[in-house]
Amino acid sequence: MSQPPQEPGEQRRTADPWQAVSYLVTGVGLYGLVGWLLDEWLGTSFLLPVGIVLGAALGVYLIYIRFRSPDHQ
Amino acid sequence: MSHVVLAGGEEHHFVPPSPADFQLPPVFGHSVLFTKPFFLLVLGGLIVVVFFVMASRNASVVPSRLQFLGELGYNFTRNTIARDVIGSKDFMKFVPYLTALFFFLLVNNYFALIPFVQFPTLSLIGFVYALGAISWFVYNGSGVRRHGFLGYLKLQTMPAGIGPGMLLLIAPLEFLSNILVRPVTLTLRLWANLFAGHILLLLFAIGAEYLIVESGNPAYIPVGIMSFLLGMAVSFLEILVLALQAYIFTLLTTLYISGAVAEEH
Repeated sequence: MSQPPQEPGEQRRTADPWQAVSYLVTGVGLYGLVGWLLDEWLGTSFLLPVGIVLGAALGVYLIYIRFRSPDHQ
Repeated sequence: MSHVVLAGGEEHHFVPPSPADFQLPPVFGHSVLFTKPFFLLVLGGLIVVVFFVMASRNASVVPSRLQFLGELGYNFTRNTIARDVIGSKDFMKFVPYLTALFFFLLVNNYFALIPFVQFPTLSLIGFVYALGAISWFVYNGSGVRRHGFLGYLKLQTMPAGIGPGMLLLIAPLEFLSNILVRPVTLTLRLWANLFAGHILLLLFAIGAEYLIVESGNPAYIPVGIMSFLLGMAVSFLEILVLALQAYIFTLLTTLYISGAVAEEH
């Protein structure tokens, strides 16, 4: 979801909480999958949990980026 | 009903409701298509169309009751949902779809509670995926039309204020989340609520009937009555849930549309 449109005199749209849930779930799912594929390819066994944790971290980071107020730096 | 009544009052086992209860037989002939959910879906669509056509016919400044009702409904989706979320610049294009969507969902949901009908048509996941797909085309299509294909992709996958390294990691995440996960969650949320509500009502009704009539044990009769009363309580809850789910589906579609057509900073 892009930044909400700032129309003069119009209220800020409320952020969608399901978006946050979807970022977390997708992050874990996608990077868990990437980790698992790398595991299969390289024969290791630790990359799957690394991928999952990395995905969760990226999901949290993305939530922060998308939902912070725009005047933040 | 999925359980069998045996003659002679023998005792038999309780068969709980299952997804098989959602596969209704064809009303006539042998086709898989002409079942009760199919006719209910068509009927739902017809009800919405006829209502709004008749409400807007011969419209006068001092409205008749039907016109007033129609305007009430239309203003709800036009103002509270579309205009407040998308913004007064772009919202009119989407009001017909959102109004149709909301009232179609409302009518089909409330089929779950109307006596002798008592089947929520959208508890069959194929129907709901179709609605989710239509919403998907609407919000992605409007985004592509506003920003061009690459521009829209950039808008959806690359939030402002991230360095290129993080961007590489974040972009697939955003893409999946906005483009793939959204229609699925939209669909599943509506479907799961309707499916679960219907199974609950079935369970309480079949359970009450089994306990009172067929279990052969008179001590179960008060339990059966309680089951029936709980079924009624769940029905009251369903009144709220059905309207809420229709509203949420429409509101989220509107939110996605607004995100897609929003101007970048």
